[in-house]
Amino acid sequence: MSRDLTSGLFWLAIAVLICLEGFTHLKLGTLRAPGPGFFPFWGGLLLGTLSLILLARPLNSRERFGSGAIPWPALLVVLGAVLSYLLFLETVGFALVTFFFLLLLFRLGKTGWIKSCAWAVVATALAYALFRLWLKVQLPRGFFGL
Amino acid sequence: MEIIQGVLNGFQVAIQPINLLYCFIGVFIGTLVGVLPGLGPAAAIALLLPSTYALSPVSSIIMLAGIYYGAMYGGSTTSILVNIPGEAASVVTCLDGHAMARQGRAGPALGIAAFGSFFAGTLSIVFLTLLAPILVKVTLSFGPPEYFSLMVLGTTLVTYFTQGSMVKALMMALVGVLLGSVGVDTISGRYRFTFGIQTLMDGLGLVPVIMGLFGISEVLLNLEQLVQERTVYAAPTGGLLPNREEWKRSAMPILRGSLLGFFLGILPGAGAIIASLASYAVEKRVSKYPEKFGSGAIEGVAGPEAANNAAAGGAFIPLLTLGIPANPVMAILLGALMIHGLQPGPLLVERAPDLFWGTIVSMYIGNAMLLVLNLPLIGIWTRLLRVPYARLFPFILLFCLIGSYSVSNNVGDGVVMWIFGVLGYLLRKFEYEAAPLILAMVIGPMMEEALRQSLILSAGSFTIFLEKPISAGFILAAALLLVLPLLTRRKGLAKAWTTVPGKFSD
Repeated sequence: MSRDLTSGLFWLAIAVLICLEGFTHLKLGTLRAPGPGFFPFWGGLLLGTLSLILLARPLNSRERFGSGAIPWPALLVVLGAVLSYLLFLETVGFALVTFFFLLLLFRLGKTGWIKSCAWAVVATALAYALFRLWLKVQLPRGFFGL
Repeated sequence: MEIIQGVLNGFQVAIQPINLLYCFIGVFIGTLVGVLPGLGPAAAIALLLPSTYALSPVSSIIMLAGIYYGAMYGGSTTSILVNIPGEAASVVTCLDGHAMARQGRAGPALGIAAFGSFFAGTLSIVFLTLLAPILVKVTLSFGPPEYFSLMVLGTTLVTYFTQGSMVKALMMALVGVLLGSVGVDTISGRYRFTFGIQTLMDGLGLVPVIMGLFGISEVLLNLEQLVQERTVYAAPTGGLLPNREEWKRSAMPILRGSLLGFFLGILPGAGAIIASLASYAVEKRVSKYPEKFGSGAIEGVAGPEAANNAAAGGAFIPLLTLGIPANPVMAILLGALMIHGLQPGPLLVERAPDLFWGTIVSMYIGNAMLLVLNLPLIGIWTRLLRVPYARLFPFILLFCLIGSYSVSNNVGDGVVMWIFGVLGYLLRKFEYEAAPLILAMVIGPMMEEALRQSLILSAGSFTIFLEKPISAGFILAAALLLVLPLLTRRKGLAKAWTTVPGKFSD
């Protein structure tokens, strides 16, 4: 499937869902007194129309994706790391989560174990000093109180 | 007289030590952001927004504005020395700037870029000073119909100036408008599209969305070249000052670039990138030796660099006078103003004169600081460039995480950022642009309010938008912009974009 076909179908589906939500749950109201569903409904309708135009156009972007192959392993590691950071931040605490997060990502960048560890310790300490001590950002302390 | 009064007032505000300090921090971080590829000003300002909550509104806006125009300076450095634009708006500077560097004239290239930027930055602020109060007077008479039509025109302009398909850009604008309606409906008080999720009750946060679209997704894209080392091609040797001949050749390009940049900067969506591309095209056309462009013509550095800085100044006009952001950076500044309880728009100059004039005057000071900061410190900036991306991206991600969390100490905002990071990556892969989405998301709620108020005013008749002359003018212009591409296929613009190596976000 070409890029425009895939994405056009995706946005068409979204548009239909939005129109349904605007029409049924929210109220369209009248033209004299537009309700909460009025704007989303017409916006969704326009989006759907444009998706159809996109789908109807000659499919000219058949070529493969952008600049290079998609680096799946790195991509998934990074996305997983960010999500895990959020997942563990409040229970484990800022300092510890940050250390493991940085360690993992430095390793991903092909830095050696010892170097990565050292970098992660230094960077965590700096981030701690900058955000918690200087900018006084309220960051979760977790079970070590860090 | 009013203007002189305002400027004097602004000086009193901007010259306060605390504001000078934040102006300096702003332009310093801005230069840093400009130098480092892979982190644009939009993401950087979104990152730093939470850290300004404790500051006064004036100090925080001065600092955030400084990051924006500071980045325009910094971006040229990497273009010239490494052939990597640190900033999307410095893309064309690569062509002749880097060619000059390879011929051992990196110094004058950097020098003229900095001076052109300084001149253009200053000139655009003079225009801003003169033009903003006049525009404020005009827009004060706008009612909901005029505002709605203006926002329709603004959104259409944004989609008109995009790189790819206009249909796709319009779709992005609509997605943005719809995302903007998440949360409480201000008129009826009903929740929309919240699905019972706490984080969505107040609407999608601008900060996490921007960090996702411009920060996280940028990192994901750059993972493709994770292990590549950057090599600084040519460190500047000798003086930074251009010679007499080079000054002479650069004078007119800088002037033309400044004017062009300023007026393109005012238009929503056009901004610094289009301004620099347009300036390059103009200089090449008026030049007596167009064949030299691309192999180290100083005009090709001077003009575009002036244009992108002037555009940065021009972009403040719609924000300060209309409350409508012209680009994603202005969208965050709008968010910043609202966090401090200020509604940008024609009333801003009256309600918060210190902020309005203080920010404008701080930009004069900031530009002078940048000139001093950039040239002597060029050694430091080039050393920064040697930091490999593998070392850099964990920090960008960490800053995004802390930034999104600290907006309201809520992990949910981080998850929103993550989702928009993935979305931003996919959009780029499927050749959609994020800028129309983010602008429409910001003005969406205003647009909806204006539309619904207009319809209530007119008792349900859409003709109200055509009966009012100003509103009709905006609608007509928007309609023209929509029809025009069908006839001309935006050839000029498409051609200009083809000179851009690669794709850039903001």
